[in-house]
Amino acid sequence: MGYRIPMGPYHPALEEPYKLDLVCEGETVRGAKLNVGFNFRGIEQLAETRNFIQIVALMERVCGICSNIHTLSICQAMERVLDIEVPQRALYIRTIMAELERLHSHVLWAGIAGKLIGFKTMFMTCFAVREQVMDVLEAISGNRVNYAMNRAGGVNRDITDPGAILKMVDAIEHSMVKSVIPIFTTSRSTLSRCAGVGVLTREQALACGAVGPTARASGLAQDIRKSAPYAAYAELDFEVPVETAGDVRARLLVRALEIIQSCKILRQALEKLPAGEIHTGSEEFEFPTGRGFSRVEAPRGEVFYSVRWDEDNYNPTRVHVRTPTYANMPTVRYMVQGARLADVPLIQASIDPCYSCTDR
Amino acid sequence: MSAIETIPAELAIQESWEEQGGSRWIASEAIDVRKLAELMRAREARFVSITAIQIPDEEDIVMDYHWDLGGELLTFEVPVQDKQMPSIVDLCEAADWIEREIHEHYAIEFIGRDYEPLLLRAGDTVGVNLREED
Repeated sequence: MGYRIPMGPYHPALEEPYKLDLVCEGETVRGAKLNVGFNFRGIEQLAETRNFIQIVALMERVCGICSNIHTLSICQAMERVLDIEVPQRALYIRTIMAELERLHSHVLWAGIAGKLIGFKTMFMTCFAVREQVMDVLEAISGNRVNYAMNRAGGVNRDITDPGAILKMVDAIEHSMVKSVIPIFTTSRSTLSRCAGVGVLTREQALACGAVGPTARASGLAQDIRKSAPYAAYAELDFEVPVETAGDVRARLLVRALEIIQSCKILRQALEKLPAGEIHTGSEEFEFPTGRGFSRVEAPRGEVFYSVRWDEDNYNPTRVHVRTPTYANMPTVRYMVQGARLADVPLIQASIDPCYSCTDR
Repeated sequence: MSAIETIPAELAIQESWEEQGGSRWIASEAIDVRKLAELMRAREARFVSITAIQIPDEEDIVMDYHWDLGGELLTFEVPVQDKQMPSIVDLCEAADWIEREIHEHYAIEFIGRDYEPLLLRAGDTVGVNLREED
């Protein structure tokens, strides 16, 4: 006989509040309903009361992990409305910041996955590696969470010593390649918790509009950095890891391989960092009536921004944000069907969810 | 003619593509959003989002349907008539949450679906326009 188990909105396995209503038979999950909205902050509406400078600071608060990606997205969208060209050096700095953010996000996720698997040593190891990435981000921007790097027309801070950052990238890559990735991809205890668990098929991923590592682990080879390159990605050589199994292990593998690709991108961007200005220098812009769209490959997948400015108005008429978890979260309903109840915390965590982003 | 170029004809609309702010963009009252969803599904396009926009100083609301076809962003702008739009959820599951959110933000009725539970915890009133609340 079936029974219902509510998981959340406040639960030790959830980083932020949301609710899964699970329908179980014995220890097997037969279905699930998702409830979000517990973190609704009305940021899209608030954005309509902010000018083009204030709005960057506001959008940085959409997410506490990929804050830089949100300022990059809003700045790109505004630059398209304004039709301005960003200096090459700024584009490279944006790329470096975006990849450092991907590194710290993926390592953070690996740590949390380690904890949910019951591998506490891996949790501590990952967080120690993540600290190294955070140190680099702090060295560049002066901040550890909200970096305030992007502005319409470029970036606010320069990278003055790329050589020092290169050394840190080498150290981070060494830690990842020598310890974290091999353990995650070959350890029997890890594989027994991940292989064949929480499967999302390619068709289901496409139907849900899944993005990022969640989609790529189900065989969808989509990455905005390749399909619609922004910042300096068109000038850099990297691969997009794709797996087809669609299980937790595949999502883990995709992120592990992406960490290596991020190091590769960082190394190239730091070595090729062009000389020149870091922003257009304009302190005032005249916003014409217009629309701007921006898509950026955040650590969890595509972030989409749609903005509209109307004449004689410093503030936007509309700012719409579609975050990756907004697209990925509904896939959990498929992933948990037929799974063991004890695997649900790990399965829902395998999409690397961010609920405050989702609710925004 | 590329697969994207033929879309207006397949949707039986006169307007043609424009480039606007980083997206291929087309606006038409004649766009049938359900036909559009069927066409995009047949081509394995990925649903991105829907943006509802209230035109300043007017009551009018327009909806932008965003799709990714082969890495290219396509935007279809459709005006909302009588605060009603056909739902595409049965054709495109990915549109579920954003339709619910627009329903709560703008009190637009999406025909052919239900909304429970409310997405944004707006209380027990279905179809509340959060933008017009005090």
